[in-house]
Formats: sequence, structure tokens, C-alpha cells
Amino acid sequence: MKALQVQRSMARFAAARVAGALVPGRGAAVGPLSLVDIDPPARPGPDWQRVRPRLAGICGSDLATVDAVSSRWFEPLVSFPFVPGHEIVGELDDGTRVVVEPVLACAARGIHPPCPACQVGETQSCEHLTHGHLRPGLQTGYCADTGGGWSIALNAHESQLHRVPDELTDEQAVMVEPAACALHAANAVSTFDGDVVVVLGAGTIGLAVLAALGKLGLARGSTIIATAKHPEQRRLATELGADQVVKPGEVLRAVRRATGSMVVGDRLASGAAVVLDCVGSAESLAQALAITRPQGEIVLVGMAGETTVDLTPLWQREIRLTGAYAYGTERLDRDGTPVDERRTFDLAFELVAEAGLGRLVGATYALDRYRDALAHAADAGRRGTVKVAFDLRAERERDRL
Amino acid sequence: MSPRPGFVLEVDRSTPPLLLMHGEGFHLQRMPIGTRVVYPGEPLATLRDPDTAIRHALLNPVNADPLPAQLFAGMKLTIAFDDVSLPLPAMRSPDARQRVIEAVLDLAAEAGVDDVEIIAALALHRRMTESELRHAVGDRVYDAFAPRGLLYNHDAEDPEAMALLGETDQGEEVEISRRAAESDLLVYVNINLVTMDGGHKSVATGLASYRSLRHHHNVATMQRSRSFMDQHRSELHSANWRMGRLIRDAGVKVFQIETTLNNDTFPAPFDFLQKREWEWRARDRALFVASSKGLDRLPNRARRKLFHSIEAPHDLTGVIAGEVESVHALTTAKVLEQQAVTVEGQSDVLTMGLPYISPYNVNSIMNPILVACLGLGYLFNMYRGKPLVREGGVLIMGHPTPWEFHPVHHPSYIDFFEQVLADTTDPLEIEKRWEQQYAEDEWYRHLYRTSHAYHGVHPFYMWYWCAHALQHLGGVIVVGGDPAAVRRLGFKPASTFDDAFEMATDVVGPHPSITHLHAPPLLMAEVQ
Amino acid sequence: MKLPRRLPDPGFPLRAPTAPVGVEVPAAPAHKGHDYDTSWARRGPARWTRAALVEGPMRAVVRGLSAPTRAGADRLAELRGPVIFAANHHSHLDTPLLLTSIPARWRHRVVVAAAADYFFATRAASVASALAINAFPIDRGRVSRESADRAAELLADRWSLLIFPEGGRSPDGWGQGHRGGAAYLSIRTGVPVVPVHLDGTSRIFARGDRVPKPGTTRVTFGAPLQPAEGEDARRLAARIEEAVAVLADEATSDWWAARRRAHRGTTPSLTGPDTASWRRAWALEDRRGRRRRPPAWPPL
Repeated sequence: MKALQVQRSMARFAAARVAGALVPGRGAAVGPLSLVDIDPPARPGPDWQRVRPRLAGICGSDLATVDAVSSRWFEPLVSFPFVPGHEIVGELDDGTRVVVEPVLACAARGIHPPCPACQVGETQSCEHLTHGHLRPGLQTGYCADTGGGWSIALNAHESQLHRVPDELTDEQAVMVEPAACALHAANAVSTFDGDVVVVLGAGTIGLAVLAALGKLGLARGSTIIATAKHPEQRRLATELGADQVVKPGEVLRAVRRATGSMVVGDRLASGAAVVLDCVGSAESLAQALAITRPQGEIVLVGMAGETTVDLTPLWQREIRLTGAYAYGTERLDRDGTPVDERRTFDLAFELVAEAGLGRLVGATYALDRYRDALAHAADAGRRGTVKVAFDLRAERERDRL
Repeated sequence: MSPRPGFVLEVDRSTPPLLLMHGEGFHLQRMPIGTRVVYPGEPLATLRDPDTAIRHALLNPVNADPLPAQLFAGMKLTIAFDDVSLPLPAMRSPDARQRVIEAVLDLAAEAGVDDVEIIAALALHRRMTESELRHAVGDRVYDAFAPRGLLYNHDAEDPEAMALLGETDQGEEVEISRRAAESDLLVYVNINLVTMDGGHKSVATGLASYRSLRHHHNVATMQRSRSFMDQHRSELHSANWRMGRLIRDAGVKVFQIETTLNNDTFPAPFDFLQKREWEWRARDRALFVASSKGLDRLPNRARRKLFHSIEAPHDLTGVIAGEVESVHALTTAKVLEQQAVTVEGQSDVLTMGLPYISPYNVNSIMNPILVACLGLGYLFNMYRGKPLVREGGVLIMGHPTPWEFHPVHHPSYIDFFEQVLADTTDPLEIEKRWEQQYAEDEWYRHLYRTSHAYHGVHPFYMWYWCAHALQHLGGVIVVGGDPAAVRRLGFKPASTFDDAFEMATDVVGPHPSITHLHAPPLLMAEVQ
Repeated sequence: MKLPRRLPDPGFPLRAPTAPVGVEVPAAPAHKGHDYDTSWARRGPARWTRAALVEGPMRAVVRGLSAPTRAGADRLAELRGPVIFAANHHSHLDTPLLLTSIPARWRHRVVVAAAADYFFATRAASVASALAINAFPIDRGRVSRESADRAAELLADRWSLLIFPEGGRSPDGWGQGHRGGAAYLSIRTGVPVVPVHLDGTSRIFARGDRVPKPGTTRVTFGAPLQPAEGEDARRLAARIEEAVAVLADEATSDWWAARRRAHRGTTPSLTGPDTASWRRAWALEDRRGRRRRPPAWPPL
């Protein structure tokens, strides 16, 4: 079976690191990722089903893996060799189209009773990501036992499967996973009581966060300022609900104007109440700290990795810095409305359909052209694309399995 | 030989290429055959002994008592003077303002006046720096007054320092500096570079606040001023006159001293920049080649520094003192004597090469908004009668138009460019949607009062200044500018003048008639 | 190689001629004193040498010793042609300070009126004075028709003149009364007088000092004075003295205060009170004290 696989090889990690630093996405050529022919993964248990991917998205965290710049934090949370790909729309053996919710929590790992987090549906915070009958792996796509989306077939536990309604296209369905991330991030903000909400970054997650803010009605009454580097991103950000879209270098002034704030040195004296950092670099985090008002809130949505940031403002201005990872269960109990609990993925299906997020899938590639695909994904913004995905619908091998 | 007047040249086959200013640089451009080129007159003769002339003007004012008769011991005397935006470029020391202020102070000392304050009448412009103040009033006056807080920049945002004098019959509020309003005598020392300057505008604008200025610094006024350089057809002028008369009727005694300069703009050896090209000698040609090549190799910063260090050799051609309106009538005539050039009829296309300086970027960066204002605001309006270009015609101007702003001087300009112009370039909409927000922004207010920043609302005024031209023209093309910045202004970028002429034919049709404004030095076209 | 034991005599015309016996040789031109002919110092090579000397070493020394502030040169902007600079005089530093401060228009066309009994006392001193500061001798002991004629000639030849009308350096830090020379020349030739005030040189190198103490100085040029119609030399000399006093006031206070005192007639006198010498010295400290530096922190 054809699959893209990440192997544990220090030499190749090192090579990818150098190549990826020179040209992002270039790690594909020399790094730990290679196109291999392997046996389809064995089914770990009776509650598992085989999924043949139709589309599998390329995520920012995948690119970090390919260029070997992921944090070493993940080392104990993955098992080699693994097949990447966690944004998956595929079909079961009976032809049902499904989206895979990739987190490998207690249920999938056969752990009973589940950990306290899983008991309340917060699967993203599961304590047992390295336990149970599976080898370690925080998600499908990082675990040696399940396979991943960038291949002809993988296994998924029944708890991971979400049936795709017929009216949803594959392109829309592959956006469900990122949309779920975005919804979870938007809902991670504790209060929206300020004038200004800033979304840094207009990649897949940044745009989906804008859509999620609109869907959840969270930033109603606030001005939403988004940053976007490229014209296509700017257009989409406006369409998805940003009130103002500015270049990254202009955001400080835009926030200052919107809040009427004073300036202290190279930062604002007051600023935005909420900043959603969908980039996750040292620069974006420093920028977020410069534009957040005292007692404001920053949600780190993009994967940050190892970064150097001066945290003095966090302390001196009592800013809350929150992470938002993956998805689980959302409690939509703002404004004193009765508690309303929804699975993030269920909301994500609605969001994708309502906001038409399928249009963000701008390019698809066959597995064989994975180097082109990764190069494109790493340079997507400049090339006017948001999401790049592998299209496996035409792989002849699928039908032989 | 008496100076030759300005004239209109028709380009023929033996006309040499013409010198065009291009920001911090210049180049030669061959103009199409038949182009009319409007040349300014040569510099008028200057006063032989300016100090004696000034004293004479103070002792023999127009329609007013001699200054010594108005000065008495124990009085409150305020002297206000024009800020760094005049003249352009800065004049060589001693500045006209220094001469006049010293002469006034000498008379005041003779009369035993103790309570004297001196105010830089900068309205909503940036505060002048110490070295700029020293240049304007001279070291003697600066050292005597500034350390004691008696020489200072006007602060239109200090509520304590402003006094509301009333409203005109048109409902315009008149609010000026309290010190000036409550003085026994206000002496205003002006430099009258163009016909718009001076008169009641000196006090009614220079010492006013936003509350007062918004009544005439707005789109409606500018669109009804055709041009604002022509007193008889300028709504801006009428509004200032209404306010000036109200100030007078409120009991503020103004002694106006207006000075006029000749148009000797560039010092030797760069005086070839104001010579007619066919009169360039070998030395001029060698200097042109060397300096234009040398400038090309310099980095932007160095070029800017070099050009802004130019001090023009222009000098006083007249000084008139007395009652505001009578003085200004004489001054305007004197300015026109230097600047007026008669032109027959309009043309389809107007071209100009924009220099490195405008009134608002002295010792600073000429940002895109100021480029627009210099071309469409100032030079376009240097006419009496009709504009040089017909309605629906095209204006072509050359300037590098970099996407660059002086962060200290023009903070609100950056926001205006990034937010307002990104949305619309329609002056009326801009005025309606954003003016108030910018005018009342605390941060801009803070920078205006404590740093050296133009007021938050100032970029709006720059855009309103363009309103008449924007309404009149069918298109604006900027040659050699940063395309992104030019498009943001709503103009079209072109890489050469030839391309620009081609592009203009889309708007005005084939074989357009072209007029080229050969400025600087400044000139005022009397279009028949 | 064999060296000649003595240089061969080149003979006339390479050496001076000997005079035949019985012939009366006319007296050679004076090489010192008030008859010394300084015209060579105003021509060709001497001028260039002096220009290099003034702009090079002299300027460096002046800057190092006296860190001058120069003010008021703008008052001379319209002035063309020769002028008479009349300054107060405290120190030998005054001349170099002035020669490096005078605006470029006149700087290298200035002759300095120098006391014949001091600057032209010996031949070497005469040459040095003429070359270095373009001095020409005047007789300060008596009113000399000759000195005046020579100065007038120089002015007519478009040379400007630097005169210290006090006639010598101050003995005690206070100024001395002006003599009439500058005023007389101005009236005779119609050349304007530019009053100049030098402040601070007496603290650096006063009369009688052996070693200069570096300090700060200020040179203030005043507005040029033209002799009025029918004005006599004494009246003009008084005006010059007054103008220098006002400049002194301006240098130590500010222009506006000085103007007001001038109009009120209360400009402080430069010559000091006419009292006992200790009281003069006492009063002088008042004028000096203003510029005293604040005490430094003691070393810990």
C-alpha cells in the first residue's frame, strides 16, 4: 500500500531542518518523510473500521514535522514510523463517507474507565495518550498503529467516526477538522467584553477562526481586526467577517485607532481585549503582547513550538495567555443562557456548511507529487491558496484493497 | 538689466529637454512638440537695506498709527509669526521674521514695554524645534525669550490657552489664542510666499483651534474656492475675512506686518535649477551631469538631508505694515508682480515635476499624501481665472512618491493612508466618516501638544486641499512613483512621461494639447 | 671626496655689494618701530601663508583654549566693502580670537592696528607681527598724522581694519575709556565701524598671566555704525563705546534685557566704578561669578 511515512532517522531530521530553514517545505525532499510501500495497518481491535481516505489535508503541524522543526515536546507523544495526515475525509468499506476525529483518547485506546477529561467529553485533554493497547500517539497521523491520512488506508475507532451528510462535498468535509479547531479556539476565550478582537494570521486556522467567531456570535458588538499578508487572504478574511483587514506590520496602528489608545514605546498603553494568535511564531506572540490591553486575553491557536518571547508584559499587565488545542465538547453558556453542550465536530459540520469553508481548499495533489504538494502548502499564502490537500480518490490501488 | 518676466514657450524641434524636479533629484525630459511651457519670471530686485525699510514700514504704516504710538509702558504685547512652513525652502539667515521681530522689539524696548510674548502661529502644524525657532527669530530673540517661556509654539489643544470670541453671521465659531486675544496689541509678522498667505488668514487661521478651523478647512469650502490662491474667488479667503473682521470687532488690535520675497530659490552653484535650459553654460551643464549622477548613487536618507539643508537665497522685496486688509492688498500686488504669468486658454493635459519640499515636510519626508497635496492642492491651484487644464483633463506629475512617512512628524498620516485611503479617496465621504475620530483622538492630541507631530486632522486637510482638483480632473498620473502608493492615492502609476502621455489619451482623446508648469520657482498662471 | 674647507664666496650680485669709499650710502628702510614697512605682508606669498596660519594652527589653538561662541554675524549680512572692527581689549588672545571669528567676507583682508612700541619693538617681532596677524604699527604715545594717513590708505585700498580703541589690554579686567582713532578714521573715510565685544578672554590669559587657563569665550558682533552727518570724532567714539557696552550686556544677560536697559540708559558700564581698586575687583567678581561652574562631586 502506498503511503507517506515519517521514519525515525536523526540524519534525515537534521537534513530536513537545514533544508526547511532555507526553503519552507523543502524538508520533504531530504527529510524523514518518504513515499513507501507498506502493508495496510492491522486492525487494533473489534471496534475499529478501515477508512480509505478521499481527501487528506496538509496542516501547519504536518509541515513542521516534514521540516523537522516540531517541538521535542511531541517526542514521547508519537510512535515511529507513522503516516501523517489527520484532516481526513474518507469512506468505510460499506461506502459511507466519514470524517475522522483524530484524537486518540481513552475510548480508542480501550481504557476503561476513561480518564476524568474523557468522562466529560474533553478528549483533547485525555491523560492516556500514551497508554492502552495502542502505541503512543496524540492523534491519528502520529501513531504507528493506526496509519494516517496520507495513505491509501488507515484504521479508525468507532468513536472517531463522523458520518458526512450527503449534501457536503469532500472539499467541505476535509475542512471539518480545522473548523473544529477554530471553534474550540474561539470558544476558549473567556469573555468578549472589549471593543476590539484581533485575529493574527489569515491561513486556514485564522480564516476558520473568523468564521467561528461569526457562527458562535461571540464578538458581536466588537470590531474584528484581522491581519493578512496576501490579497487573496485579505479578500477571504473580509468575506468571513473581519471588519478590518490589515497587513501584519499595520496591526498595532489599526488596533490603536480602533481603541483610541495611547502608545508607550513600541506598544499600546491600552489595546485589544482579545487576541487570537493563529500564527504561533515568536513574532506573532510578541505582537499579540504589544496590542493586548491590561487584563486582556491572548489565545494561542497556532502551534508555537520553541520560541523566545519576553513575558514581562504577561506579568506586568496581567494578561491571560491561553492555549487552544484540538476539540472536544463546547459549552455555549454565555450571557446566562442555559448550558448547551455540543460536540465540537458537530458544530464544525454546521460551520463548514454555513460559512462555505470548502472554498478554502485551493489545490489538491496525488500522493506521488507529495514534494510539490508540500512545497505548495508551505508557500500557500503567496500563491493565493489557503488549504492544500492530497486527493486519493483517483488512486487505483484503493479499489484493490 | 531688469529681471525678465515669466512667459510661455512653445516647444519646437530646437527646444532642449526641460529640467523637471523629481523629489530629491531632477532630470531632463524632452517634451512633445507643441507643448506650452510656463516659465516663471526672474527674481525681482531685493531691498538694498532691509533693516531701514522695516523701520520705515513700522514708522509709516498703512491706515494705522505708527507702531511707536501704539506702544506704551505697562502694556501687554504679543508678537506672532509664521511657522516653519514658510518660506520654501527656508531662507538664509537672517530670516525676514528675525529682522522684523528685532525691529519691533527694539521699539518696544524704547517704549518701556515689559510684558512681551512671542508665539509661533502654527495652528495645527507640528511644533517647531529649537533650531527651527532659532532660525526663524534669530539667536538673540530666542535666547532672550525662550528660556523664560516667553517664546513658544501655539497650542490649539490647550483649552486654557484658547479664547472663544464669538460666531460669524454664518455661524462659524472663532477661537484664537487667549494671550493674543487679551493683549493690548497683537503684532503679526508674516512671510507672504503665495497669494493665499497673509491677511486675516494670519491670525484667524494661524492662532486658531480645530473648533474654528473646521468651518473653512473642509471639502465644501475647498470645492467652492477656485482657486484658493485667488482672493476674489476663494471661499477659504471669504471665511477667513469674516473671522478676521469678527476678531477685529471683538476688540483685538492687530498690527500686521507682511513681507514679500523674490523667487530666487536655489543657491549657487545649483542656480542652474532655475535658469532657462537654453541659457545653461558649460559650467551649468557639467554641474547638472555631476549632481544628477551623484544624487542617483546616494541613499535616500543622504539625498533628503542634502536637499533639506538648502537655504534659498531669496530675499525681501517688500515689507508693509499697518491695518490688515490694506496691508494685504498691497502685499498681494507685490507677490503677483513676482509670480504672475499670463497664459492663453486651457489645455487637455497639465504636466509638472514635483520638488522635494512642500509646506508640510520641511526637514521631513514627503509622504504620498503630501505628494498629492503639493500637486493637486498647491501647484494645480496656482491659477487665477481658469485652471491650466480643462475640466475632465489629465494631470501628470513626476515624483518618486515613496511609501514612507516620518513617524514623528506625520503619525496620523500613516493611519490615514492605511485606513482611510485604503477604503475610499472621495473627500466628502472621508470627511463624513473619519474626520471627527481623527481630530479627537487623544493620542494624536498628545503628540501634537508634546512632540513634533502634525495634528490628527491634518492629513484630512491635505486631502481636502485636493478636492477642487479631484473634482475638476479626469485623471491623475504619477510618473516614477511607487505603484502601490500611487494606486492607494487613487492615481495611475506610469514609468515614463511618454507612457503617461499615452495613458492620458484614453481620457482626453488623441493628440492632446499639453501645458507644462515649469516650477519651482513658483508662479501664478493668469489663464485668460 | 675632498670637502672644500670653506664655502666659496659667490660674489656680487649674489651677495651684498660693498660701497666705495667716500660715497654716502642712504639709510636702509627701518626694520622696526612705527616706520616699519609692512606692505610685503599684504602681498602674494605672505597673504597665503597667513591665511593658512589663521585657518590652521591659529584656529586650532583658539578653539582649544577658548571654545568661542560667535554671535551677531547676521547683523553684517548687508555690509559690503571695508569696515573698521572696534573691540574691547583684555588679552593677547583677543587678536587671534577675532581673526578667526570675523566673517569670511573680511577675514583675510583685515589689518590689525598694533602698538609700534610693543609689536614692532625688534626686527624679529616686526616680521612676526606683520606676517602672522597682518599688523601695522601705530604710535599710541602721541597722535600721529602718519599712522592715520597709513590707515586711511589701507581702507581706501579695501583693507579692513581691526582696532582696539582702548589703546591697550585692560590692567584689571575692567575696560578702559575709548580713544578717538577708530571714530576719526570712520569720519575721515566714511567706512562703517562694527562694534565687537569679546567676553571671557581675560579669564583665560589676562595681562600679566604666564600660562593660559582654558575657558570659554563669546564674540558678539554689533550692528554697523555709520558716522552721522556732521558728527565729530568724540561723539562717534562715545557711540562706539556705548555700543560695545550694550553688546557686553547682551553677552552676559540677553538681547531683550540689554535693549531695554540701553533704552533706559542703564547699560552697565564697561569701565567699572570709579572707586578704590579693591572695590573695582570686588565688583568685577559680580560680573564673573555668573559663569562659575557648580561644584563637582567629591571623589569617594
